[in-house]
Amino acid sequence: MKRLLELLKDGNSRTIEQLAAELGTTPADIDRQLGFLEHIGAIRRVSFSAQKTCGGSCKGCNPAECRGCMPKNAAQNMGEMWEVIKQH
Amino acid sequence: MSATIALLGQPNSGKSTLFNALTGLRQHVGNWPGKTVEKKEGTFTYKGDTYSVADLPGSYSMSANSDEEVITRDYAGLEAPCFLVLNMEDVAKEQGKTIDAAAIEKKLGIPVMLFSATDMKAYDKFYSTLERALKSKSHLDVSSLEKEYEKLGGYAEIKEQLADNAPSGYTPMWLTVKVLENDKVVSAKLKNTLDDKTIKKIETLAKGGADAVAAGECKFAWIDEILQGAVSGSKSVTKLGRLDRIYTHRIWGKPAVVLTVLLGLIASFIPALPIMGVGSLVDMLKTAVATGLEGAGCPALVTGLLCDVGIQSLSFVIKMLGFVFGVTLVFGLLEEVGVMARISYVFDNTMGKLGLQGKSVMPFLVSFGCTMGGAAGARVIDNWGQKVLTIALAWAVPCGAAWAIIPMLSTVFFGAAAPLIIVVLLLVMLLHMWITAKVFGAKLVKTEDRCGMIMELPPYHKPKWGALFRYVLGRTKDTFFRVVKVVLLVCAVFWLLSYGGGSDESSLLYKIGTAIEPVTMFVGLPWQLFIAFIASSVGKEGAVGVITALYSGTSYAQGFAEAMSGAARAANLNELLLANVTRPEALAFIFAITFNLPCVVALAATYQEIHSVKWTAKIALYYTATALLLSCIAYHIGQLIW
Repeated sequence: MKRLLELLKDGNSRTIEQLAAELGTTPADIDRQLGFLEHIGAIRRVSFSAQKTCGGSCKGCNPAECRGCMPKNAAQNMGEMWEVIKQH
Repeated sequence: MSATIALLGQPNSGKSTLFNALTGLRQHVGNWPGKTVEKKEGTFTYKGDTYSVADLPGSYSMSANSDEEVITRDYAGLEAPCFLVLNMEDVAKEQGKTIDAAAIEKKLGIPVMLFSATDMKAYDKFYSTLERALKSKSHLDVSSLEKEYEKLGGYAEIKEQLADNAPSGYTPMWLTVKVLENDKVVSAKLKNTLDDKTIKKIETLAKGGADAVAAGECKFAWIDEILQGAVSGSKSVTKLGRLDRIYTHRIWGKPAVVLTVLLGLIASFIPALPIMGVGSLVDMLKTAVATGLEGAGCPALVTGLLCDVGIQSLSFVIKMLGFVFGVTLVFGLLEEVGVMARISYVFDNTMGKLGLQGKSVMPFLVSFGCTMGGAAGARVIDNWGQKVLTIALAWAVPCGAAWAIIPMLSTVFFGAAAPLIIVVLLLVMLLHMWITAKVFGAKLVKTEDRCGMIMELPPYHKPKWGALFRYVLGRTKDTFFRVVKVVLLVCAVFWLLSYGGGSDESSLLYKIGTAIEPVTMFVGLPWQLFIAFIASSVGKEGAVGVITALYSGTSYAQGFAEAMSGAARAANLNELLLANVTRPEALAFIFAITFNLPCVVALAATYQEIHSVKWTAKIALYYTATALLLSCIAYHIGQLIW
């Protein structure tokens, strides 16, 4: 998993299959690693869907928290994406 | 024999299916004491003995990340006999895997069984394994796991501190790993149990020791070692479909994606046309309403405001909405079927060079049709700075309206060299985006903000038309109410500025225009072209109508109204332009309107997305200044050529 995180430091995006090939393992193993890393808060799932607080209308949203969010029902089939959470 | 059985496992591992099959109707649901977490308990009878079963919340790694996990962890903390149920045997078979449960059992030291919780015939196996576990009082052999943990920095030292002090119900090994993982609940528990000196020592050791990732790697290494030789079968090799082979191709991926988007843009005109027709119908009302108002003795100023500003603006907005509807429908469809995710993936690395994520490519592509759609498309970008930069760069992409005017003007002035002008404009667009990224990027995005992403591309599937149309209509309705206010206001301001009460020379626009001409000529724009440039800020198509009006001597207000209605191109426009405008001035004008801020609707959409007046104004001023700078450069180069 350290190797996976290290690999992603270059800022490029990869599919699960690419990651598996680069790390010399299987997509199932990458799935397992992603599950663990997400669980410990090292990566997070990218949400393309509307935020529950405003449903995409941005009415009554706190601008500090919701600087424009996805319209309701938008981006339902963008697959799964994870991004690395910066450790401060 | 009787016992209480706690079902432990990861979320979605089939615990509830097992629980329901075991207990049937003999279950009750409540809450765990002091928590809002659902507590499911039940009973079943086997060979005359009654067993209690608790369906515990799913837990990934017994870390305390939620109330559910704390409950599960505390419940599981009891040192009770255990056995392992490998559920979904049927799925493993489908995947061509064979699992040697006996081999795993030998390594773990507890009974292990292969099982399908959905197969009611398989439950005898479950009961016999349960009996075996209870009889043998089996406990998990974690010695090989501990060997892995011993490789972790700080493990041995922290464990030594906890050896005689561990809170009851927890093993020093488990506590030590949780300390290294920085588990907040365990840390608090230890603080309540241990003295300050020991806690300080443990904290110092943990700080310099291994982290959660390293601990996780130990666990995976242990699991891999257990599965070694016990699991065999065909390793699934993911085969890419024909479309994915093209889209993810190293060389052909990008051209294929660009072609898809261009075809999408062309296709978006088809659903847009009927709505644009409605806009034209609204426009036709203007004359009838104006005649009616004049007949009723309404003052000319009021009639003008109602018709030239009110109805005209409404017609303009509806025409724009046609394109918004078309683009949203086509790109919503692309997203729905799974193509959009591939587009985002293919352009990720190119975006990286501009400090952006792959997701930013969509707003750029959509901006070729309509910048407003591009600004709205930036919503997929979570990072605010990246979102602002994406929109700022999307403004440099000439929109559909610009593509309607530029070829026409280029042909009038440069004849056969018009395609060359278009190519130069596209190259300047790329340069503009690169420079803009450098100018704004330093403040908006940090290199460290960009992180690699992992993508699991979705499977292609047929669109759900009902949901798609509901989404598209919702977006179009939202857009209508959002932009109509802004467009009305800006139109009113321009209209009043150009209103001369019958005399062109008395209008404020004329006075301002002639006053500023010495300055505007430096950037290559006579005052009429400069006013057309200003009008292009409202909508690019406005510029040509303004030129027609100003050079043909009709009133400026009428010229502006023509501009807004899109009835721009007068029959004798070619002659008018050639007689009054030089080639360097024309070149300057083409650059000025192409790279001017896209339109007020895009301006409003930008504010709507980034929620910052400061940055919206900054981007608008930057584009106005850059357009004039490019106009100046083009003019002076033009003077050298012609």
